[in-house]
Amino acid sequence: MSVFLLQRLGQALVAIFGVMTLVFFIQRLTGDPTYLLVPETATQADIEAMRRSLGLDQPLVVQYLNYLWDMLRFDFGTSYVQNVPVTQIIASRLPYTLQLAAGALFVAFVIGLPVGLAMAIWRKHRFTNVLMGIVLGAQSMPTFWSGILMIMVFGVWLGWLPPSGSGSFAHLVMPSIALGLLSMATYARIARSSILDEMSKDYVRSARARGVGTGRLVGKHLIRNSLIPVISISALEISQLLAGAVIVETVFAWPGLGQLTVQSVQSRDFVVVQGIVLLGAFVTISVNLLADILYGVVDPRIRKGGKA
Amino acid sequence: MKGTKRAARFALPIALSLGVAMTALTPAIAKDLLTVDLVNEPSSLDPHQQWNPDSYYVYRNIFDNMVTRDDAGEIVPQIATAWQRTSDTETVFTIRDDVTFHDGTPLTPEDVVYTVERITDPDFGSPQLGQFNKIIKAEVTGENQVTLTTDGAYPALLAQLVKLSIVPRHIASTMTSAEFNEAPVGSGPYIFDSWDRGVSVTVTKNEDYWGDIGPFETVVFRGVPDAATRVADLQAGAADLVVTLNTDLAQQVENGGQGKVLTVNTERVAYFAMNSALAPLDQPDLRKAISHAIDREAIVDGLLGGYPQIVDQMLSPAHFGWADGIEGYDYDPEKAQELIAGLETAPDMELGLATSPVFDQRVVQAIQQMLTDVGLNVAIDTTDMATWLKDQQTTPEQAPMLTFSRWSCACQDPDGIMYPLLHSSSNWSRVSDPEIDALLDEARSELDETRRADLYAQINRMALEDADILPLYQAAIIYGAAENLDWQPTSNESLFLNRMSWTE
Repeated sequence: MSVFLLQRLGQALVAIFGVMTLVFFIQRLTGDPTYLLVPETATQADIEAMRRSLGLDQPLVVQYLNYLWDMLRFDFGTSYVQNVPVTQIIASRLPYTLQLAAGALFVAFVIGLPVGLAMAIWRKHRFTNVLMGIVLGAQSMPTFWSGILMIMVFGVWLGWLPPSGSGSFAHLVMPSIALGLLSMATYARIARSSILDEMSKDYVRSARARGVGTGRLVGKHLIRNSLIPVISISALEISQLLAGAVIVETVFAWPGLGQLTVQSVQSRDFVVVQGIVLLGAFVTISVNLLADILYGVVDPRIRKGGKA
Repeated sequence: MKGTKRAARFALPIALSLGVAMTALTPAIAKDLLTVDLVNEPSSLDPHQQWNPDSYYVYRNIFDNMVTRDDAGEIVPQIATAWQRTSDTETVFTIRDDVTFHDGTPLTPEDVVYTVERITDPDFGSPQLGQFNKIIKAEVTGENQVTLTTDGAYPALLAQLVKLSIVPRHIASTMTSAEFNEAPVGSGPYIFDSWDRGVSVTVTKNEDYWGDIGPFETVVFRGVPDAATRVADLQAGAADLVVTLNTDLAQQVENGGQGKVLTVNTERVAYFAMNSALAPLDQPDLRKAISHAIDREAIVDGLLGGYPQIVDQMLSPAHFGWADGIEGYDYDPEKAQELIAGLETAPDMELGLATSPVFDQRVVQAIQQMLTDVGLNVAIDTTDMATWLKDQQTTPEQAPMLTFSRWSCACQDPDGIMYPLLHSSSNWSRVSDPEIDALLDEARSELDETRRADLYAQINRMALEDADILPLYQAAIIYGAAENLDWQPTSNESLFLNRMSWTE
């Protein structure tokens, strides 16, 4: 297990280095931020001066080496636009992203899993088709539409919830649902197919033959065994959620990392984008590592190195 | 009984969240709080740093400027109460003696001198350097007196000083710009209270302000990137003033019954540039044909809700030097086709029209269609804004063939728009006319206002004849406001809180 962990850690470091290098060079292919920072009336000399002060006048290789050296010292730089350390900017946005991710996961789990379960157990029932349609509908609605719709209904017409912004639990409700609906459908479908898969296995038939009731069968055996794919998906979903929900955060003016990403890419704030991408890579890699470990906890066959 | 219990269990969280929602909404109803939805949070509250509306919407309330413009657009006293030009290059300003910064320290002429030195110091690296670097010296020359010396005669000096925010020397000189940005101290009608990064900036009323304060105890500026959400905030009463709406959303506000639309024509002039350095646009008749082919009325009335005003000069009525009676190209597609048929070299090649998503793509596509209608082959080249800006600021030989753009110098002076766009020494200019160059140079340092205005009118007539650049319209800016907010937006795109009030 520890050899396996060390191997995975080594891979993680290589992956992070690769991401750092890629994001550095890709951004520099997308245009010179200097032009966005000076007023239109700036002379060529003003533009040069600004470029020098940002260090963008140096050869690309020198810029890259400086960047790597800074990263090694955990110096993530200062935003071109806001003139504030990147760590400070990201730290101020991260709590919002965590809140929204937790809210969305809650919505997705609490609705998605039972719905998937119901669809698997009563798979021949007419009601299941209706449920399936609703799930597909939820997944197909683009959030920039469903989000605005919710704002109009609950924020403007009914006045139940604040239409946008942050600062209270009520502010979190609509963005969580808008974001959670997407993952909810994924969870429902994965849970359904995973449980169906398990139900066709021999041990289920034997258990039924022994006279184990549906409730006990589902609660004690099926759910546990169907959780592996759900955990894999969760790893993917969580890393996506933590990287920030770009559209939901923009629509609801939720001040998380997704909104920050869009703003920083638009203003070519290279340093901030690098910071966010690095954080995203770090989160994705760690969550996947965690998922690998969790498999072992849920399924002893993996923990003990046996073949499944 | 069991049913009631269960209902109660559900009702409680709902009631709780409703309660929270209500408390979240009530501040907007209370009259002493004003909530403003910007597009993004400010980039910086150091007024000598970042230069974008979301920043100066906020910091122009925290700081006083050297002079200001009243609602009619006239330059009027603020920190400077009077000014007198003592020579072609020297102007003496009298500084108010009853102004204090928010920390209680009096504002002195030394603060004014320091402010000029700070923003013009190349090492400080202000993005606004180009607007103030004509000022080569600032010194205290008497009690409450500051003399500014410019590099040559500079008639646009006052127009630039409208944007010069005075910072306190005893604070700003002891800290970095980043530190000052964290806790900006000015002398304006509102005091910086807090900046919740990524969320909002809060300012509070300065009870000791020397001028009008306005009725709001507290003002919150929030960043709400999605325009439809800003409108929803307005309609739900969660915001009292929202910026930057397009015409569709303005319609929605007007039909929605909640809130009203406030609009003003800014000093932003939309124009269409034709690159005469490149064939086939080197033929004047083709450029004139294009000028006749573009239906500006259709663009303004059909796409832009009728708000903007069509202009025939590279100025707007909000600028100094706006001349009545200059007639431009009327919409005449038959004439355009005639001109094209008579060309020596037929324009059958593809003409590139450079644009970026920042510009209204409906207008760009409409222009493409109008030019296609008279038989031209126009291709839209879309790039990101940074690349677009870089492609524009180059030699005419390398610049795009056609460009739709909008220009504001934020100074309402013709030198700020016509020099960069018409003088051959400017990177932006597609015009190369020695006579226009000479007149622009002359007007730039002409101190006699009547003569100066005449020069610009003359240049505008010549530019129309050259037809390198077609003035389109004076762009409008659209705000949404609460029904009971009384405010007259101004052409310089500022949100001066102390000029707003609640109606009864």
